[in-house]
Amino acid sequence: MKVKSYFIVLIILILTVTAGCSTSGSKTQSQSQSDKQLVIGLDDDPPQLDPQKSSAAVDRQVFQSIFNTLVDIDKNGKIIPELATSWNISKDGKTYTFNLRKNVKFQDGTAFNADAVKFNFERELNQKFGSPRLSEIGLISQVKVTNPYQVQLVLKQPFSPLLSILTDRSGMMLSPAAVKKEGAGFSNHPVGTGPYKFENRVKQDHITVTAFKDYWGKKPKVQTIVYHPYTDGNVRLTNLTSGSVDLVNTIDYKDINQVKKNPNLKVSEKAAIGFQGLTLNVKRAPLNNVKIRQAINLAIDRNAIARVIFHNGVTPANGPIPTGSWAHDSSIKVPAGDTNVARKLVADSGLKNVQFTLKIPAGSSQNQQLGQMIQSMLKKAGITVKLEQVEFGTMIQQGIDHNFDAINLGWSGRIDPDGTIYSWFATNGSNNDMGYSNPKVDQWLNQARTISARPERAQIYHKVAQQLWKDAPYIALYYPNDFKVMKKNVSGFQHYPDTMIRPESIYFK
Amino acid sequence: MLYYIARRLVLMIGILFLVSVLVFVLINVIPGDPATLMLGQEATAGARAALRQSLGLNDPLYIQYLHWVGGVLHGNLGYSLADHTPVMSILLNKIPVTLELTILSFLIAVAIAIPVGIISAIRKGTAWDYVTTVFALSGVSIPAFWLGILLIYLFSVTLGWLPPSGYVSLTDNPVKSIVLMIMPSISLGIRLSAQLTRMLRSSLLEVMEADYIRTGYAKGLMEKAVVFKHALRNAMLPVLTVSGLELSAFLGGAVITETIFAVPGLGQLIVNAILTRDFPIVQGAILFIAFAVVFVNFLVDIAYSLLDPRISLGGASK
Amino acid sequence: MEQPQLKAGPITFSKPSKKVVSRRSSKILKHKLALMGGIFVAVLILLAVFAPLIAPYSPIRQSYAEALKPPSSAHWFGTDTLGRDLFSRIIFGAQVSLKAGLISVGLALLIGVPLGMISGYFRGLWDDLIIMRVTDAMLAFPSLILALTLAAVLGPSLNHAMIAIGLVFTPNFIRLVRGEVLAQREREYVTAAKASGLKNVHIMIRHIFPNILGPIIVQATLNVAAAIIAEASLSYLGLGTQLPTPSWGAMLAEGQGYLQQAPWISIFPGLFIFVAVISINVFGDGIRDWLDPKIK
Repeated sequence: MKVKSYFIVLIILILTVTAGCSTSGSKTQSQSQSDKQLVIGLDDDPPQLDPQKSSAAVDRQVFQSIFNTLVDIDKNGKIIPELATSWNISKDGKTYTFNLRKNVKFQDGTAFNADAVKFNFERELNQKFGSPRLSEIGLISQVKVTNPYQVQLVLKQPFSPLLSILTDRSGMMLSPAAVKKEGAGFSNHPVGTGPYKFENRVKQDHITVTAFKDYWGKKPKVQTIVYHPYTDGNVRLTNLTSGSVDLVNTIDYKDINQVKKNPNLKVSEKAAIGFQGLTLNVKRAPLNNVKIRQAINLAIDRNAIARVIFHNGVTPANGPIPTGSWAHDSSIKVPAGDTNVARKLVADSGLKNVQFTLKIPAGSSQNQQLGQMIQSMLKKAGITVKLEQVEFGTMIQQGIDHNFDAINLGWSGRIDPDGTIYSWFATNGSNNDMGYSNPKVDQWLNQARTISARPERAQIYHKVAQQLWKDAPYIALYYPNDFKVMKKNVSGFQHYPDTMIRPESIYFK
Repeated sequence: MLYYIARRLVLMIGILFLVSVLVFVLINVIPGDPATLMLGQEATAGARAALRQSLGLNDPLYIQYLHWVGGVLHGNLGYSLADHTPVMSILLNKIPVTLELTILSFLIAVAIAIPVGIISAIRKGTAWDYVTTVFALSGVSIPAFWLGILLIYLFSVTLGWLPPSGYVSLTDNPVKSIVLMIMPSISLGIRLSAQLTRMLRSSLLEVMEADYIRTGYAKGLMEKAVVFKHALRNAMLPVLTVSGLELSAFLGGAVITETIFAVPGLGQLIVNAILTRDFPIVQGAILFIAFAVVFVNFLVDIAYSLLDPRISLGGASK
Repeated sequence: MEQPQLKAGPITFSKPSKKVVSRRSSKILKHKLALMGGIFVAVLILLAVFAPLIAPYSPIRQSYAEALKPPSSAHWFGTDTLGRDLFSRIIFGAQVSLKAGLISVGLALLIGVPLGMISGYFRGLWDDLIIMRVTDAMLAFPSLILALTLAAVLGPSLNHAMIAIGLVFTPNFIRLVRGEVLAQREREYVTAAKASGLKNVHIMIRHIFPNILGPIIVQATLNVAAAIIAEASLSYLGLGTQLPTPSWGAMLAEGQGYLQQAPWISIFPGLFIFVAVISINVFGDGIRDWLDPKIK
């Protein structure tokens, strides 16, 4: 008898649970609309929320709402004022003077002024603090407060990319009071001067920010923004098409066509600033042989890759600087898979049975497909490729240790071409896993940093691109385009070349 | 009995010690360094070295281990390497999520398995048995993540009955919370229910062959009484075992299902922490799961002795 | 619902009644089912062994012009994103999945059954202090996470994945076998055997083992299924089968993203996992009935 009643209780329980859901299913869908809250789907969970500790691009999507930078970019990548209303660069290019905006408050009530700016730069520049941003702003030797609303950055040597670097995390201003109060806990309680202030966060679930009442700029229309991480592209898209998400920061390339056809969605596409391809270890056989590297470069059909795997959501590449940049060299022809030339190069190399292992990041079907396409293209050129999927953390480590033949690895890129290629191709650069070193390239890269006129700099970068084409330490395959997809009623979204969502302009129609 | 319980509690501490060593060693032998992953590709070697130093990663492993265990004994599970959140507070955020999913899945599994298992056992060889057998076989054969995706496409995309994924805490909105949990708990619960059905069926069959049941039958007891009083009681043993065994899989192993349904549970937490080499989180979470599993299995063993008087716990071994 | 079922009909060992006829015929049906399972398993094994002869295309032949084509007479199961023939890939994938399922469970059995028997039969220090505690410690780890960690430590390859899965499944067998032996060792036949002076090893192998084989086989078949899925999960995470070798799990994972545009990519591998596992289970059930001396 006892057992029977146990069943009955169980069955009733299950029935209530199932019944409960079917009635309330429709209710949950409409809720988010009436609240006027913007729900943004991200492709990953930001590891932490301190801009000066940040090394993941996805962090910045959230920082854009909480923090302001000294200077920002407009939709075309031009530098515009933000916390600094104007600035002045000395003739020798070594002193940058910023005039700061007045009446700006941090979200904890602290006043924003020159001391706050000095505090921020000194925190980032402190070797012991170990900020990943240090590699970008390490040339700053001194931060001087010249008056309460004026700051001077003194550099060790001229460095023309500085302003564009300050539009990124290095230029974000954190509340000094909050940093002192929270210490290491600031990563969980970020305080800035931005249009939204941090409310709460549950890791791997959501981050909520609400409109900051005392914001200095134009008040945002949307009162609450909730960021949800969805690492799985299908889940992210499903939540956009039939869930509560209003805007996603990226979609899988395979879904582009389907999304464009969906009448309830809007797609915004923009050329981004990064590159993707193959890092070759130039210090290890057989890829220490330049002929083999050239053969690989010519044998891979970039157009086929762009079409088959990325459904033309990427631009085929001829080098590391993307087509959208003013420094791109369009005179280099994008390889279309010239098997015969590649075969000849392999023969000229004097090597037999050329074989190497290509490491690809585990868990991404896109990279798996790419690896297999490269494998089959190179096979036609007489080069055998072994594929090895490696968990990302291990792969980065092996890259740094130069413990690899070839790795499928790319770079999100920076607004300024210097940030995009310097660390990759300069001797001992922090991203130079290839072990590549060419004195001419080093000299040009450094020279470009000291010149501020764009046409002159562009010419130098063309020379770099030509040399990299000859040396082929890195096989650039494609430049990812950035896709933002949103519901039809989301208005005011502006697409920036740095791919970051600046949510203050967004409203619902 | 008291002696037994006391002895078991001592052993539990031993197991947790073993687990703590195992997890510490395993995670430290995976190639890859937390400082490298935290700082990303662009960082300089100097920045990495400075960070390693400040995180205490340059200390010898046994010092790091003792440091961690010392903290644990004082109720401090350590701090996340990434953002310095106390591991305890991260776990307290995740545990209710995982517990909700686990309990709902077990409810679904047991509610299906017990009636189905009994029917297929007493109606062995009939059409009923085949139907239930096919159900049980299908249940264990469908990969949970595939089932999850099929459910989303059916109930969310095609029919629009259920929200595709997400999580709301029970305290915030109980109804919505359970609604969101339905599909994940079905995709996890079906497999368990199939497993339980099979175990229940085979052990019921075996028990019904046993002498004492025959005797009961010979005495002219009604079949129903026989099944319920003797057989089911004994058949609960393997059910308990399987449930105890599967618990750890639910607490941390539902990673793929959690990802598909965007449920921020322990599984996702651990895998992410492994991928970013956030050692304190992995250690703390695994230790918690180990504690829960060991404790539940302890209860299962006690239940064993209560259900089957033939198994003596006193350790009067020969 | 269950009320009428419980009332009606006697249990198998009851005296003959009018139901017996139908029961006998269903018994035969059941054997037929087991036979069918066996045939399916045999067919899968043959497919795997003779894959190079049966497959119409090379499993790694890429043809971009034919990418994402639905099933047709040229490609029975359609093509994937790189225009590869899915039918050929599935046949070759049978090699990986069967191998992974059988070898990893074989490893788990090889370690788990002896340890479980020793543990349950002798009890005492070995059992309590060592085998069961280590088992408990391993069981306390979530299995997928343990396998993932082990595979990450060993490095990615199918062999390493099989070792990782095998080790992770071992405690299942230790615990199950121990539980069964605990129940058996108090039985009369064991006491009788002991009294007649038979050696422990002899009693364990000749007397207890046949009596606990049923549950072990049930557990093993379930675990082969789980191992095939576990291999799929690890391959999905890139820690299992290495590219371009096709594995059902990896194919399913790859096709998962195309469920709306090209459902066949994930449906067919999913279906084969399904069929393979059901066949193995039915077949195992048949063996169980055949082995068990009590069910005649």
